[in-house]
Amino acid sequence: MKVFTETLYDAFGQTFRIDKVYFENKTEHQHLMIFHNAALGRVMVLDGVVQTTEKDEFVYHEMMAHVPLLAHGKAKQVLIVGGGDGGMLREVLKHRSVEQVTMVEIDSAVIEMAKEYLPNHSQGAFDDARANIVIADGMDFVRDTVQRFDVIISDSTDPIGPGEILFTDDFYAQCKHILNPGGIVVTQNGVAFFQLDEVRTTASRLSHHFSDATFYSAAVPTYYGGIMTFAWGSNDAAIRHVDVQTLQHRFKSSGINTRYYTPEIHQASFALPRYIVDALDETKA
Amino acid sequence: MSERFIHYGASAAEQQHYRELVKQHGSPLLIVYKEKLLQQLQLLQQQLPGVSHYYAIKAFPYQDVIRILADAGANFDVASAGEIDMLQKLNISGRRTIHTHPIKKDNEIRAALRGGSTTFVIDNIEELHKLLPYRQRIGLLLRVSFRSDSAKVDLSRKFGCAPDQALDIVRQASAMGTHIRGLSFHVGSQSLTANTHVDAIHRCAELISEIEELTGRPMNVLDIGGGFPVDYACTGIDYDAYFKPIRDALESALPDHIDSIAEPGRFLVAPAVTGIASVAGKARRGDYQWYYLDDGVYGSYSGQLFDHASYPLQILNDNPQREPCILAGPTCDSIDVIAENILLPELKEGDLVIGHMMGAYTYATATRFNSLSGAQIIIV
Repeated sequence: MKVFTETLYDAFGQTFRIDKVYFENKTEHQHLMIFHNAALGRVMVLDGVVQTTEKDEFVYHEMMAHVPLLAHGKAKQVLIVGGGDGGMLREVLKHRSVEQVTMVEIDSAVIEMAKEYLPNHSQGAFDDARANIVIADGMDFVRDTVQRFDVIISDSTDPIGPGEILFTDDFYAQCKHILNPGGIVVTQNGVAFFQLDEVRTTASRLSHHFSDATFYSAAVPTYYGGIMTFAWGSNDAAIRHVDVQTLQHRFKSSGINTRYYTPEIHQASFALPRYIVDALDETKA
Repeated sequence: MSERFIHYGASAAEQQHYRELVKQHGSPLLIVYKEKLLQQLQLLQQQLPGVSHYYAIKAFPYQDVIRILADAGANFDVASAGEIDMLQKLNISGRRTIHTHPIKKDNEIRAALRGGSTTFVIDNIEELHKLLPYRQRIGLLLRVSFRSDSAKVDLSRKFGCAPDQALDIVRQASAMGTHIRGLSFHVGSQSLTANTHVDAIHRCAELISEIEELTGRPMNVLDIGGGFPVDYACTGIDYDAYFKPIRDALESALPDHIDSIAEPGRFLVAPAVTGIASVAGKARRGDYQWYYLDDGVYGSYSGQLFDHASYPLQILNDNPQREPCILAGPTCDSIDVIAENILLPELKEGDLVIGHMMGAYTYATATRFNSLSGAQIIIV
C-alpha cells in the first residue's frame, strides 16, 4: 500500500493512503504530486506539504476570497498571487462586481497539472473573460505592475520555498503601493498553533505598512493542527468592522452560494484565541 | 596506503563478461552490481538487527543506486541541497532522510526543509542559533566526537563536540525552546576493529540518561554513524566477529526507547562496484614498463588520493612472466599514477585492467580534469 506522509514537522505528520497517483514530479520550481485519497478526493502536494484537497478546499478558498471581497463591498480589480490550482480564481469570479482578476503564478506546471487533474478546483475559471493569468514571480509582478487593485490575495505555499518572498517586508510594502484607497491584502499564514513564529513575523512586518494589521481564522481540516490564520492588512479599520447586517445584505445580493462562509462566520473569524493575541501583543511590545 | 592486492588471471566467463561490457559500452566503465548492493544491505541488516540504515549518498551519489536502495527499504543520509534534489527527482520522501552536515548555510537548511528533511545535526551553539528560526518544525541530533585510533579516515577532528560539552549544549538548547532528540557520532571510516564504536555507544548511553535527567524529557535516537570496513586488502574480514561487539553494546547499553540508526556509505557501495579501464598506450622508461590507462586518479581512482584507498586490481592475463610496472592515468599530470612498482605480465593496447571495490568515493570525487568525460556507470 502506498502512503504519503507530510514532511512539514519532524516529530509528527499526517499520513494519507494513496489510491492512485495522477502526477508526481519535480517541476522547475518545486516537487508536485497529485493523488487520489478515498476520503479527501484529489489531493495536491507541493514540496511534501498538502496544499489543497477536493473535499475541504471550499473552507480555505471561500474564507480567503469572500471575507475581503464582501468586507470591501465594491471590489472591481482583484490580484491573486499564487493560487495555481484555480480554486481562488473560481471563488473570486463569483463576485459579479469584479471586473478583472489578475492571477500571478510562478509555476506554470501547477496550473497545467491542476487543469488536467484538479478540474473541480477551477471549474472553468481559467477560461473566464475576466481572468488574466500571468506566469511570473509574484514579487516581480507587484514591484513592476502599473495596475491598481482593490483586493490582493496571497494564496502561497509556506514561507520556505518558492513562496518565501511573499512573506517579506518588501512584498507587503509593494502590496500597499498597488492597492487603491480602501484596499485590502490577505495572505495565508499557516496553522498558528504549530507555526506561531510565522504569525509573529508576519504581524510585525505587516504592521510596518498597514495601520490595521491583524489575522482572521478558519479550520481547514487537512491543514493539520487546528485553526489556520489569514493575515489581513488595510489602512481603514472600519472595513474590518463592517456590521453583520451590511455583510448579510452584500452576501445576499451577491447571489453566491457557500458551504463554509456566512456573514456571521465572517465577523466571528476575526476573534482570535488568547495564545495568538498574546503573540501579537509581543510583537507590538 | 595499504598494500596493493593484485589478482592475476580470470575465468573464461569473467573475461567474456568484462569484454562484453566494454564492447557494448566502451571504456572506462564503473559497473554497479545490483545484487551485490542488496547483499551488502542485507548483511548489515542481519549484523545489526533493529538498526535503521541511512545510506550516505555522498559515497556514490548516483540515482540508480539510490533507487535500488530505496526500493529495498533503505533511508538516506544527506549533507547538501544537491543530494536532496536527487531524492526529490526520484520522488523519495524527505521523511526517509536525516541531514547530517554539522555546519550549514541558511539556504542549505531551507533547501533541506523544502525537501522534507527535518532532522538536523549540530555540534555547537552557533549552529543551534542558525536553526532557531525553524525550531517548530525540526528535530535535532547532537554530534559527539570520539576518536578512533585505527580509523583510516578520522572524522572526529573536524566535527563533533567533546562528550563533556554535550550537557551544556543541551541545556542551552532547552533554554532556547528547542529539544535535542538524539545523539550521533562518527568514529571515522574503515576502522578494522569495533572498539571505538563500542566505547562510543556506552558513553552515549550514559550521556542520554544524564540528558534525560537534565531536561526531564526522553530522547529517542542514537545515530552510530558508519565507518564499517570493507576488504580492500582482500584478506577476508570476519563480519560476524566485527559486528558482534557493536550488536552487544546496542543491546546491553541502550534503553529500549532509543532507536538506533546508522549511516553506511562505503560498506554498501564499495564491494558493489567494479571499474574497468583499458590500456591506452605504453612506454618503457628507465627500469619500469609504463602503462597508460583511460581512467586514473583524476577519475574513478580519485579515492586513492581523497579517501586513502588502494583498490584491488585484476589483470585478466595470468602469464607468470612479470616485470615491474607503473599504471598511470590518462591526464597530463605526473601525480596521475594508479600504482607504482607492481609486477604485471606484458599488456597490449586495449587490454583491460579491472579495479575491484570501487564503489565508495570513486565516481563521487572524480574530476573533469583535462575535460575527460570519466567512466560511464552501468548497472547490471
